[in-house]
Amino acid sequence: MLRTALRNILAHKARLVMTVLAVCLGVAFVCGTLVFADSTAAAHRAAASKNFADIAVTVTAKEPPPGSSPDQHTSVLDDALVRKLAAVPGVAAVRPSVDGSAALNAADGTPLRTGKSGSNLAGAYVPDKDGADSRYPLLKGHAPRNSGELALDSGTAEAGHFRIGDSVTLATDGPVMTKRLAGIVSTKDTRVTAGGTLTLFDKATAQKLFATPGHYTAIDLSAAPGTDQFALSRKVAGMLPAERAEATTGAAQANQQAILVDTLTRGYEKLPMVFAGVALFIGSFLIINTFTMLVARRAREIALLRAIGASRRQVAGSILLEALLVGLAASAAGFLLGLGIAAVLPDILSTGATTLPHGPLVIGPRPVAAALVVGVGVTLLAAWLPSRQAAKVAPVEAMRSAAQPPATARPRIRAVVGLVLLVAGAGLLISLTGAKDASEENLRSAMLGCAVLVVALIVLAPLLAAPVIRLTGRLTGGFGIVGRLARENALRDPRRTAATAATLMISTALVTGLAVIGNSTGQALDRQAAAGLGADYVISSRTTMTGIDPAALGRVAGTSGVRTAAAVTDSTMVAGGHVRTISGIDPDSVNAVMKLDFTSGSAKDIGPGRIALSGTVAREHGVRAGGSIDVRMGRSQDLKKYTVVGVYKDNPVAHDALGARSEVAQHSYLPGSVQRLLVRTEGDATSKTLQEQLRTAVGNSPLLKVQDRGELVDEAAGVVSGLLDVMYGMLAIGVVIGALGIVNTLAMSVAERTREIGALRAIGMDRAGIRRMIRLEAATVAAFGTLLGLAGGVFGAWAVGALANGALEQYSLVLPWGTLLLVCLLSLVIGTAAAAVPARRAAALSPLEAVAEG
Amino acid sequence: MTAEPFAPHAPQPMPTITAATSGLTKVYGSGDTQVVALDQVSITFKEGEFTAIMGPSGCGKSTLMHCAAGLDSPTSGSVRIGTTELSTLNDRRLTQLRRDRIGFIFQAFNLLPTLTALENITLPLTIAGRRPDPQWLERVVAMVGLAGRLGHRPAQLSGGQQQRVAVARALAAQPAIIFGDEPTGNLDSRAGAEVLGFLRDSVRELGQTVVMVTHDPVAAGYADRVVFLSDGQLVDEMTRPTPDRVLDRMKSLDTRSRTS
Repeated sequence: MLRTALRNILAHKARLVMTVLAVCLGVAFVCGTLVFADSTAAAHRAAASKNFADIAVTVTAKEPPPGSSPDQHTSVLDDALVRKLAAVPGVAAVRPSVDGSAALNAADGTPLRTGKSGSNLAGAYVPDKDGADSRYPLLKGHAPRNSGELALDSGTAEAGHFRIGDSVTLATDGPVMTKRLAGIVSTKDTRVTAGGTLTLFDKATAQKLFATPGHYTAIDLSAAPGTDQFALSRKVAGMLPAERAEATTGAAQANQQAILVDTLTRGYEKLPMVFAGVALFIGSFLIINTFTMLVARRAREIALLRAIGASRRQVAGSILLEALLVGLAASAAGFLLGLGIAAVLPDILSTGATTLPHGPLVIGPRPVAAALVVGVGVTLLAAWLPSRQAAKVAPVEAMRSAAQPPATARPRIRAVVGLVLLVAGAGLLISLTGAKDASEENLRSAMLGCAVLVVALIVLAPLLAAPVIRLTGRLTGGFGIVGRLARENALRDPRRTAATAATLMISTALVTGLAVIGNSTGQALDRQAAAGLGADYVISSRTTMTGIDPAALGRVAGTSGVRTAAAVTDSTMVAGGHVRTISGIDPDSVNAVMKLDFTSGSAKDIGPGRIALSGTVAREHGVRAGGSIDVRMGRSQDLKKYTVVGVYKDNPVAHDALGARSEVAQHSYLPGSVQRLLVRTEGDATSKTLQEQLRTAVGNSPLLKVQDRGELVDEAAGVVSGLLDVMYGMLAIGVVIGALGIVNTLAMSVAERTREIGALRAIGMDRAGIRRMIRLEAATVAAFGTLLGLAGGVFGAWAVGALANGALEQYSLVLPWGTLLLVCLLSLVIGTAAAAVPARRAAALSPLEAVAEG
Repeated sequence: MTAEPFAPHAPQPMPTITAATSGLTKVYGSGDTQVVALDQVSITFKEGEFTAIMGPSGCGKSTLMHCAAGLDSPTSGSVRIGTTELSTLNDRRLTQLRRDRIGFIFQAFNLLPTLTALENITLPLTIAGRRPDPQWLERVVAMVGLAGRLGHRPAQLSGGQQQRVAVARALAAQPAIIFGDEPTGNLDSRAGAEVLGFLRDSVRELGQTVVMVTHDPVAAGYADRVVFLSDGQLVDEMTRPTPDRVLDRMKSLDTRSRTS
């Protein structure tokens, strides 16, 4: 049987190449993703373990217990402790550090790599006995020696276009500072090498900025050779003042960091995995189709095998064996292609702000196993149905004439099953239109509904083929008899046509659905961002841990052209286990800068102990205006009962709740700080110069963003534009595989119809006519798939989009006509282009084929 | 064709030549494997005549028909349909000529399974973008007795009915000449007799020119003239044949080709 299978594969090379390609694409994505993920994680982990390689124990201060006396708030990590720790037996070296964060402006005045929080590191350059800090080897210049100097790591200096001697603008929390770049160092800290920044000050400056003079934030100890980390850690812990400081081993920290890095990088796997899933799902239709056609083509041959004594099992087995061999070939090819993908993925996923560490490709057992399981598994699974069909071929068919076996479908069963699925899927989706929010449960039913709907469409496609193609036939009818023949040929085997169109249908449905949801969401976000904002400019700090320099407040208010500048303090509040964002506002000026739509109560009653809630939060907590809610605000440790004085429609500018600024600021992480300035200009004017003036007013601080209304809206749409990239990627994969399928089906269909095409040539159809006929047939199949996908996608988007109604007040279904038209055109054009080779082959057939034997 | 397609067949003093070959040679392969299928064959087909080409298997009768009908190109020699020399035509012109001036009837019927009987009959006209002459069409359809089955697909028709559709298709465009390649080869004797009857009627009643390749003496008996081919050469000709005379001639041809 192996020999038969091998012979068959060789005999149908061209046909199987398409199948191999389709499986190969899917396998490549899966393997590429896994290898990439392994490599990236390995690069991070290697860097992380290097970081802690010579740190045996780290001593850090403990957060003082609530209600402790003020003297307990001063750190115990001082020079005296450093000397004491240095004397501990087994300690080889002591390196005290002062850690904080600092945002930088690049040489051109724009914020430098400030996009990701927690990656703008700052610290002290603390020379040891040799006069150098071994953690930060100097590459150029000298270490910062006074408060006017700093050092940067080489990556940061390069990205910001700084040279030694340049002045660098930066901010740590409040005011903007300018210091001279004295030295460039190297670092192995992954948080920096993965796209962050590192700023080093001299010890005194760092202590002043991030701790208190004379104190450190951490002390690293390295162990003498042969000293056990854990023993040393216990010994050191015993020497520390209880409740004031603690000791952690380097190994524990390395582990912790590795886990953190893993969670951060896991996200990178998702996107390519989605592509892999789509490619495999769509590809499996191509496989089913190819094997079904091969089986149909070989019916006589199989019947002969059966007639001379092969059992059903043997016949089915030989088909599956063929699939196994094809799957193995595809897996091998896909694996190699995947390595290529893994090599280029870091460059693709790295955008300007974040770069992924480059390292050697790590090929673990995971991708190899995945390639085999996915490639061979999918192929075998897809070939299973055709193999059953092959087993059903009766021996007597060997004696029948060459006439094509009529498709013995059971349309009634198909119709019933399809309709039941359709009703179930659609019903599930429609039942969601009443849903109020995008809860986990609702999302899961939405996914299930979409999946059932897709399966229903696939089941019904052969039955829908006739009516839909008759409809599109109206268009191809303009091509006369050629169009007529193309239509009839597409209808000849509706099952085959449907299976061929299925790939295009699925990709079109996915893309249409995503496009519609993306467009609707984007527009809703735009409307919402614009609707809630009364101000013309928003000046905001990048994190809630930093604030706007209080001095800048007055400067902004004093800028000519500014009518109102309302300060907002952003903080968090915990209510019923949920962490919410609360905006501290001034009830008198809030209406000038926010467009609040109160469903009950009003903003003017907001004051200490009295807050307003957004509609969603109020609904989730079951409170109404006049009720009360227990809230733990900001850093405060105790729950306190607040009166709810109003409920407003969800507003991204106001966040989840509104409170009096004085009260919110009192409990904020940076007490008394301001996170946002909402600026209303004279006559609501906006201009480049005014924006520049505002930037200058806040000292051009890299910690702050100055945005006009349009920029704010664009920022909100950022999420959606990411979705668009995914969408076009999926369309590309779907269309490529769909095109492969069309090439495959048409080539097969041309091969089956040589006699017929020969007769057409004999009775007077010229080559151009034959070519046009095949191309129109491809266009008909492509149009069928595209139309069905379009309908399914729009319906799905409509139903799923309803989920967004709860979350997005302004959501409504908006069809992106341009994109939809593009999707249709692309599918049609590529579908038709796919016919080029089969059409040429058909046109080259001689009219003598009509009289050829057999 | 003539200006008077409905004129009953009458003996004409100077019958026009509808198609002719002269010095027609077809060679397949080269060197040791070279096979001469046709060797200097010159033959004319007169208007309104029913000619049968006969000969043993491999004598080149099918090749002769393919070359004469513009389906295959000869190695040397000339083929004319009316006054048109086929070797001067490119593929597009040749296709047009087949479409407009030649009708075909194949052994395997070769109807398009997706089209109805009527659509199959008018297909050459539709491809040419011409409207069928309704009276002519009605007459042809009536003659082959398909009036009740025009809406059927080929799969719903018997073999004889399918070949009758093919005959009607060949007649519908009123071609100068109809070529039949073993038109009764796939039919039982009754259905075969019907089809041959229609072909003869089309010659007698419609003045059609028909050339048919066959190996069946009974089929040849319907023709006005039988030409015999052996080893790629024209060896004999017989007018007003009967099956018995054809059979005798074939037997002697067989013996000769075996002994030679």
